[in-house]
Amino acid sequence: MKVGDTLPEISIPITLHRLVMEAGANRDLSMIHHDTKIAQATGAPDAYANTFFLMGMFERQLREFIGVTGRIKKIGPMQMKTFNCVGDVLVFKATIKDVVGNMVSIEQIVESERGVTTVCRSKVEVG
Amino acid sequence: MSEPSWGKWGTWEDAESFVGKTVGVTRSPDAVELGAIRRWLEPKEFDCALHTDLSAAKAAGYRDIIAPNTMAFTYGIGPYWAPEDGLSKPGYEPRQISIPVIFDVPAPCKLSFATSVEIEFFDPIYVGDQITCTSKLISLVKKELRVGAGAFFKQEDTYTNQDGGVVAIAHLDIFRFNPPEGKKSAS
Repeated sequence: MKVGDTLPEISIPITLHRLVMEAGANRDLSMIHHDTKIAQATGAPDAYANTFFLMGMFERQLREFIGVTGRIKKIGPMQMKTFNCVGDVLVFKATIKDVVGNMVSIEQIVESERGVTTVCRSKVEVG
Repeated sequence: MSEPSWGKWGTWEDAESFVGKTVGVTRSPDAVELGAIRRWLEPKEFDCALHTDLSAAKAAGYRDIIAPNTMAFTYGIGPYWAPEDGLSKPGYEPRQISIPVIFDVPAPCKLSFATSVEIEFFDPIYVGDQITCTSKLISLVKKELRVGAGAFFKQEDTYTNQDGGVVAIAHLDIFRFNPPEGKKSAS
């Protein structure tokens, strides 16, 4: 493991069905995340994924990298550049930025047809 | 449809009086349980034995199954309905997510969106834990962005378990604002 190594990508299609499942599970019931008309009235192209979903997907990517023996120390700051909407296919990418002993700093991004939609820095401890 | 708006209304002086203070304490309505964890994993297609398999969790050094780290956010949200709320009438306004710097801190702003989130993890969240989230307004900085004039509100959320152990500390940056007259908001 060294600086510059990349983690396996995760690709996931965003559907209204997925957003509804996500809202029910993570309890962020803001209507901009599951109601197209409400989302569009605030200037978004469509209903869009919420913060908890994105954070959870970043966690999934980190967990798949470190396995059950690793520890996730920090996720973020995560910054949302634009929307992750219904109809988009999100691709989560990650690159190792720093390695100090067992501690690994990772840059994670989300890409879609809209470009880079979300950026995040994370820190994990490998087991 | 009419222009949407949300958040507690007040003056900038009202808002500034909350800086440095606790603005919300939310005890999760539910203890951590396996069904909620499974439903949280489902839409993310997230497969990890630490969150589903006791023997795997113990083999990894935990005393029980653990929740995903970022599920702390979910356990910081209060109930959307309780018996003392009574029954909804037609046309009722659906309750929004309980973000105190939006819904408990008054400010002269109609809209808001999150710009940055970070969360640091400490003790694991175990099945059966009862999580409480204590929210503090750390800072308020007025700013004018393309979407309108308003302010950045920084909220610090400390998540603790039933023993007072800190499981996570999150920082959330929210921009509350008013869109320019005659324009819809866009972030």
